[in-house]
Amino acid sequence: MAWKVFFATATGRTHQQDGVPCQDSGGYLVRDGILVASVCDGAGSARAGGEGAGLFAALLPERVAAQFPSGPPALEDEARAALARALGEVRDGVATQAAGRDLVLADFACTLIGCIASGEGGWFFHVGDGYGASRGRGGEPGAISRPENGEFADETYFVTDEAWADHLRLTPISPPGRGGVIGLLSDGVAPFAIDRARSGFFAPFLDPVLAYLAGVDEAAGNEALAHLLAGERALEISADDKALLLAIAT
Amino acid sequence: MSHVIPDVALIDNSDERALLVLVLDCSGSMLDEGKIELLNDGLKTLEVELKADPVAARCGRVLVISFGGDNSVERMGEWTDAMDFTAPTLHAGGMTPLGSAMRGALDEIEEQKSQMRAAGVTYKRPIIMLLSDGEPTDDWRMVADECRNAETAHRVNVMAIGIGQANRDILGAFSNKGALNLAGLRFKELFIWLSRSIRAVSRAPTGATVQLNPVDSWAQMQT
Repeated sequence: MAWKVFFATATGRTHQQDGVPCQDSGGYLVRDGILVASVCDGAGSARAGGEGAGLFAALLPERVAAQFPSGPPALEDEARAALARALGEVRDGVATQAAGRDLVLADFACTLIGCIASGEGGWFFHVGDGYGASRGRGGEPGAISRPENGEFADETYFVTDEAWADHLRLTPISPPGRGGVIGLLSDGVAPFAIDRARSGFFAPFLDPVLAYLAGVDEAAGNEALAHLLAGERALEISADDKALLLAIAT
Repeated sequence: MSHVIPDVALIDNSDERALLVLVLDCSGSMLDEGKIELLNDGLKTLEVELKADPVAARCGRVLVISFGGDNSVERMGEWTDAMDFTAPTLHAGGMTPLGSAMRGALDEIEEQKSQMRAAGVTYKRPIIMLLSDGEPTDDWRMVADECRNAETAHRVNVMAIGIGQANRDILGAFSNKGALNLAGLRFKELFIWLSRSIRAVSRAPTGATVQLNPVDSWAQMQT
């Protein structure tokens, strides 16, 4: 299976006003028909949350792919063990960078929503908030990985937490089929792209986006997504930074 | 700009609410130096600033509690969405029943939270802002302990702010962060900062307090 992957970020209004750059990041790779992707949201309360999001999102796809040379396993235990190894390696790598700068891992606090998928299906893996959502080729709803928050919506879990492994959640993704889509959304995007029942994509959002993306290459698609995320309506609905990754099976 | 995706509809599910209770000292000493007028002006500034931000206007939910008179605590109207908030006009006079007022604030928040949970509405950690220029004339120690415990349990974020000659040791007992002092009588700056804090959809790791903007526009730095 081949994948066409689109990704964009936009700085939310709060950070625009404070002159702070976007704290959301994403990264992905496609190898032998296997897609590995991640979107990370840096904690505003951490000293280098945005940087942490950038590091995790950049390092993660390669480490995860290395654990799954023949694609995502069907068994959750197997997938969880391998993902935990990959995330542990990335955490170690980021901790080493932190130590070199008199910082600690928690200073790079960020959430993580990721996926590994092939034509056979795969897994969302998730620590903290944001959404993973998939949809079949005919628009039929697929998997959804919802945010995990503390008592309050502004408290969440971070991949840098000591107890991160307790909050690592896996959700199976069914085989996407050509035209199927897998989305990773930071919590600044979900309020306008996920339906009210929190059951999947808001179709009037996704359908026109997919129709447009079908006719453009990745560079043009990324630009259009960035424009959409930075639009007035999106800024009004959520003051948060925004990151959206859409992988379309072709 | 090219690359405009046509016909995209955006739903609005951003219904996380930010609860704010203002607990305001209206004791007799607030008449001095025009403090009560400055406080009223500050509240009007808060109203304007909250309404000026579409997210804060929709997500913010405000309750004002005043205390003064004959050790009386007054709830100035109902909980109000920020977009509908009208700053009340406060009048100063009488005692400083600060303990009862804070007890009322804690109760109001728990009540409001249970209503929201029942309605399936998510909320951020509520903020109680306590402003006082004196010291309590009622029993305050037990409710101060409760406030600190509620903070430790992440149920609320208490900001205790002293005006002028306020007893900062007592005010500081209401928050694990201690109390800050308003520099001069910068009520306007304080309320602009507060509205910015409500705006900031700031997120904090589990167990940590929510990070807010620097307070140097209004807070008196310790010397």
